[in-house]
Amino acid sequence: MAIRPEEITNIIKNKIEQFNTTVDVSEVGTVIQVGDGIARVHGLNRVKASELVDFGNGVKGMAMNLEYDNVGCVLMGSDQQVHEGTTVKRTGEVISIPVGKGVIGRVVDPLGNALDGKGPISAEKNMPLDIVAPGIIDRQPVKQPLQTGIKAIDSMVPIGKGQRELIIGDRQTGKTAIALDTIINQKNIPQNERCICIYVAVGQKQSTVAQVVKTLTDFGAMDYTVVVSATASDPASLLYIAPYAGCAIGEFFMWQGKDVLIVYDDLSKHAQAYRQMSLLLRRPPGREAYPGDVFYLHSRLLERACKLSKENGGGSLTALPIIETQANDVSAYIPTNVISITDGQIYLESNLFLSGIKPAVNVGLSVSRVGGSAQRKTMRKVAGTLRIDLSQYQELAGFAQFGSELDKESQRQIERGKRMTELLKQNQYAPLKVGEEVLVLYAGTHGYLDTVQVTDVLAYEQQLLSYARTEGKKVLEEMNQAVELTEDLEKEVVGLLDHFKTVFKAGK
Amino acid sequence: MNSSKRIVAQRYASAYDALSKTNEEASQRSALLNEVSAALLTQQQTMESPRLSLQSKKQAVRAALSGAPETARFIELLIDAKRYDLLPEIARRVEDLLDQRLGIIRAQVFAAKQLSEAQKKQTQDVLAKRYGGSVKAEFITDPRLLGGLKIRCCGEEIDGSLQHQLNKLQEELTK
Repeated sequence: MAIRPEEITNIIKNKIEQFNTTVDVSEVGTVIQVGDGIARVHGLNRVKASELVDFGNGVKGMAMNLEYDNVGCVLMGSDQQVHEGTTVKRTGEVISIPVGKGVIGRVVDPLGNALDGKGPISAEKNMPLDIVAPGIIDRQPVKQPLQTGIKAIDSMVPIGKGQRELIIGDRQTGKTAIALDTIINQKNIPQNERCICIYVAVGQKQSTVAQVVKTLTDFGAMDYTVVVSATASDPASLLYIAPYAGCAIGEFFMWQGKDVLIVYDDLSKHAQAYRQMSLLLRRPPGREAYPGDVFYLHSRLLERACKLSKENGGGSLTALPIIETQANDVSAYIPTNVISITDGQIYLESNLFLSGIKPAVNVGLSVSRVGGSAQRKTMRKVAGTLRIDLSQYQELAGFAQFGSELDKESQRQIERGKRMTELLKQNQYAPLKVGEEVLVLYAGTHGYLDTVQVTDVLAYEQQLLSYARTEGKKVLEEMNQAVELTEDLEKEVVGLLDHFKTVFKAGK
Repeated sequence: MNSSKRIVAQRYASAYDALSKTNEEASQRSALLNEVSAALLTQQQTMESPRLSLQSKKQAVRAALSGAPETARFIELLIDAKRYDLLPEIARRVEDLLDQRLGIIRAQVFAAKQLSEAQKKQTQDVLAKRYGGSVKAEFITDPRLLGGLKIRCCGEEIDGSLQHQLNKLQEELTK
C-alpha cells in the first residue's frame, strides 16, 4: 500500500484544527523528596487515598500515604525524571486498566500497555483496578467443575468454577506447570464451557515469562489467554498492582457471563513487593517485616474470585494463586495467610518430585473445600475412594519396609497402591479430557491393572488411551459428555477394557 | 528535611505566632524573625561551631536582640532544644501564619515577558475575585512559557501558557 503524504498532512491538519485550547486548572503539589520509587509530595491537599497523580514526563504515581503535611506516593515508572521541586498534578481518578475482547491473546503490563509488540490495544472500557468484591446476594455456590486435565487433581482435589485453589510448594516442584496445563487443557473443552485464561506473572524473570508465552502460543492457548506481566526488573509498585490488574480484566469477562480462570504466579513475590513499598513509606513492620495489612492485601484480591448468580449472568472467576515456600515450610507467614483465605490447596513436595512422582501432589495435605460438590458424578464414582486408598497404601508401605510378613489383604492394598501411584503420574503439557481420565482411573480402581507389572503401568495407560481413541471413540465421546456413569455406560466401559486386555502388549 | 522536622517547625512557628495579640504585633515579629534568621544565616559558621559554648551563643543572641526580648528568648529556646537548624523553616512558616491572620493569599504568576503594571493589577484583581482575599502575587518571568500565563495559587495551577498547549497538542498527536 502506498503511503500518500498529503493524506497524513491532512489528518494532522484536522487534528490541529480540532484541538481546543482551554486553560487547565489543576491541583498541584511539589516533590520534596524522591528515591527508591517513592516520592513525598507537599501540597495536593485534597488528594484521595490510592488516587492516581501525574508527575509529568509520562510518569504516573499513586498516593498511598496521606500524612499531616505531605503525601507519600509510589511511582509507576522510573524515578529518573522526577526530582525535588517537580510539580505533581492530581488526576481525580483511581488507577484503571483498559479491558475488552481486544486484550485476549495479548501480553500487557499492569497499566494496560502492550508488551508484545503487536500494536496498541483496542479496549472497550476502563476498569478500576481495586474494586470491592461482589457481595453475597450477587453470588451462587460453586457447582460446575473446572477441568485441569491432570488426573491427580481432577480426581482427588477437584476445582470448581469460582473457587480459589492455592498451588503451594518449593521452587522447582512444578507449580507453574500445573497452572499452565490447566490453561492448555481449556483447549480440550467445548467453546461454550471454555474459560478465558489470565496468567499474571509477578516478579518473575523476563525469560521465564517469555518461555510461558511461547509455550502457550505453541499449544494454541494464546487464543483465549491474556498474560499480565510485571517482571523482576519492574518497580515494586507495578508488581503490587499486577494481580489487581489481571483480576480487573477477568471481572470484565465475568460480568459478561463468561467463565474466567486467573493464575497469580506468584503471590509470595507480590507480598514482598508490597513489603518493600510499605517499608519505604515508613509504615511500621510486623511479622517477617511484612506490614500489618498484608492479609488484607491478599484477601481482598482472592475474595474477588466468585461464581455469579443467574441474575448476574452466571459468570465465574476461578483463582489459582501460587505461593512459593522455603524448604517445604507451610507455616511461614504468607503461606498460612493464603492457605486460610483460599478454598483449599494443592501441596507439591520436592521429595515426591525428586522420586519421580510428577505432578508431585502430596495427596494427604492437598484438599479442596468446595470443589467436591462441583465434581462430575462420573469422576466421583471412579475416584471416590482413591484418596483414602492412597493414604492407606502409604501407611502400609511404611510398615512393609520393615520386612514383616503381611496378610493377603494388605499385600493387595500395597500392590494396588503402587499401581495407582504409577497411574497418577502424568507428563507436562499432556492434559487429558474428562472421559479419558475417567476411563484410565476406572481401570485402576477396578483392578484391571492388578495383573499388569508396575513398570508396565505407563505403557498400559498409553496403549489404552490410543486404543480407546481409535476403537472406542464412541464410548470415549459419551464419557466426555456424560454427567453420570449410568449402568449402560459402565457396561460399555467394561467391555472396552475387557477387549483391551487381549490386545495389550506388556513390556513396550 | 524529613516530615517529623517539618511538623516540629510548624509547632514552634504557631507558638511564636501566638505571642502576638494584634495583627500589627504579629507582622512586626514576623519581619524581625525573618531579619534575624537571614542575619544569623551569614553567621552560620559561628553559630554552629562546637568550640563556642551554648551559653556564649545565647549571650550573643541576647545582646544583639536587646530591643526584642521575646524573640531573643525564642531563639535561645531553639538553641537549648537543639532545634536551631529549623530557624529558617520556622521563619517561613511564621510568615505563612501571618498571611492567614491578614487574609493574604500568595500567588506566583509566571509569564513569558515582563508584565506591565496594568496587567499585573488586572491579574491580581481576577485572582482576588476567584479566591476571595487580598492577593499578593509574585511575578516571575520565564521565557520557556512562550506566551500566556501560568498561575500557582492555593495549591492550584492555572495553566494557560503556550508551552502547555503545545505539550498537550504533542500528546494528542503522538497518541
